[in-house]
Amino acid sequence: MTTTTRTALPALPEARTSRTNRTRSGDGVTFARVVVAEWAKFTSLRSTTWTLVATVVAMVGVSVLAAWGTTIDAVDAGTGPMNLAQFLGAGYQLGQLSVAVLGVLTITGEYSTGMIRSTFAAVPRRVPVLGAKALVLAGVVALTSLVSLALSYLATMPFHDALGARLDLGDPETLRLTLGVPLYLVAISLLAFGVGVLVRHSAGALTAVIALLLVVENVLMLIPLRVIELISPFLPSTAGRRLLFDQETLTAVDAATSGAHLTPWQGYGVLLAWVAGLLVLGAWLLRRRDA
Amino acid sequence: MIEVQGLTKRYGPKTAVDGMSFTVHPGRVTGFLGPNGAGKSTTMRMIVGLDHPSAGTATVNGRRYAEHHAPLHEVGALLDAKAVHTGRSARNHLRAMAATHGIGRSRVDEVIDMTGLAPVADKRVGGFSLGMGQRLGIAAALLGDPQVLILDEPVNGLDPEGVLWVRTLARHLASQGRTVFLSSHLMSEMALTADHLIVVGRGKVLADAPVADVVAGATGKVVRVRSPRATELEDLLRRAGAGVVTTEPGLLEVTGRSRSQVGDAAADAGLPLHELTEVGGSLEDAYLQLTAEELEYQSSALDQTTGAFAPTTEGALR
Repeated sequence: MTTTTRTALPALPEARTSRTNRTRSGDGVTFARVVVAEWAKFTSLRSTTWTLVATVVAMVGVSVLAAWGTTIDAVDAGTGPMNLAQFLGAGYQLGQLSVAVLGVLTITGEYSTGMIRSTFAAVPRRVPVLGAKALVLAGVVALTSLVSLALSYLATMPFHDALGARLDLGDPETLRLTLGVPLYLVAISLLAFGVGVLVRHSAGALTAVIALLLVVENVLMLIPLRVIELISPFLPSTAGRRLLFDQETLTAVDAATSGAHLTPWQGYGVLLAWVAGLLVLGAWLLRRRDA
Repeated sequence: MIEVQGLTKRYGPKTAVDGMSFTVHPGRVTGFLGPNGAGKSTTMRMIVGLDHPSAGTATVNGRRYAEHHAPLHEVGALLDAKAVHTGRSARNHLRAMAATHGIGRSRVDEVIDMTGLAPVADKRVGGFSLGMGQRLGIAAALLGDPQVLILDEPVNGLDPEGVLWVRTLARHLASQGRTVFLSSHLMSEMALTADHLIVVGRGKVLADAPVADVVAGATGKVVRVRSPRATELEDLLRRAGAGVVTTEPGLLEVTGRSRSQVGDAAADAGLPLHELTEVGGSLEDAYLQLTAEELEYQSSALDQTTGAFAPTTEGALR
């Protein structure tokens, strides 16, 4: 036993007599604690910070380019006052890709590293983890989108006069176009998160989400089959994007497509229904599968 | 206390765990010993609710793991040293785990000191050695100061000092009245660490007994006697019903009698003895004998071509 004393044993745990009482006094897993834990996980990874910075840079950059491009375009210059909301939200296409990546990696990163086993050992009921992750993701994406909008407003200021543009949040359409950016991006990040929960592999889930957002829906719109024409308006991104279109664009889109013509909020509701469906299916599978 | 009843796990046609039943009691170190592929890890994962059993139940302190309100305070588990996000620091990993139970930062710092992780606690886990990963896994298991500890191959990848540390820690935790359940495929490690053994092979429990009983039960005790009048002694012991084998002239190996019984019998008959030794079977012998026919990967592939089944461990039976 003389060798034992040599070994570094700085402070072996002492039995705590009060342990049982402490455990009984509600010192266990609560949803609020799981949210705190997921927040701690989210903020302690460098990759998430960089993804968020990239989102802001991309969205602000596109806004500035769109505003600058319009000022040097002589044709549009004289068409009267323009809605600034159109320019502020111009980067949503690029923004949706990075928040989709964030949504997918929020869950698949835990599967690829094995972290998910530690997570489920701490919260064996599992579904609270899903809820907490979704909540943290939604909050962060909403905040990032609002920051992007604010920075876009500031960054496009040099062009405001030349565009004759204004931002009147008292106007219902302007308010919808502005708030639509965080609402749409939150829904897309949750859609990607839901796909990540189902697929569990980063590469597979990313491919599925990006293909859905960029390829599948656009390709389907070109196929003149009646069935596809009926389904197409209800695909998640096609429906949800209508929240970000002004009346002029909506009319143009509707003229070019047959099938259902959803209002902007109906379209967003359809996107939310997709998100809810994916998350419910994900929660059900999460409980059944081996981790 | 861990109770496992008829626990079974099937993956398609393959049965990884085949109706295991055992109880792990507090206050001692229980070793879970078996060759690779015997179903040890799967069993441990089912105990903490990560894998769902195909049949049977596993409870910890009377409840299924998932039914505990504060699982980390009930059970600390090291199931996989790599169950950590590689992009996060050890301290942040432990803080996130602790947050789910409202465990404070001071406890996180405590387990970091306890496991000797302080110098690397703020480095990203991706750069950790296997040994450091094991220490982090043990730190996570200790976070909730649990009464039950489940450690899957905890000495894997540790240097000799680390092995000694785990052994001392396991014994210390058991001495505090905690339940310590420790798996290994290294019988030498188990001989030094465990009080009680559950030996498994191909998903089945082969033995469940104190370490000494497993050794004695599997190999039997042999008393080696050297005497110039060995043939007379052999006759004497044979007539008394003991098993006797002459391994070389003047040297006997006696089974079914203790050392003192053999010595007394020789003294009564006035026979001189030059050596009287009890040859205890080793845990290694016992283990090899128990698992000889249960090994998933036989190392004697040659036997199949000759058609003769000869367990590689036949020597252990002697």
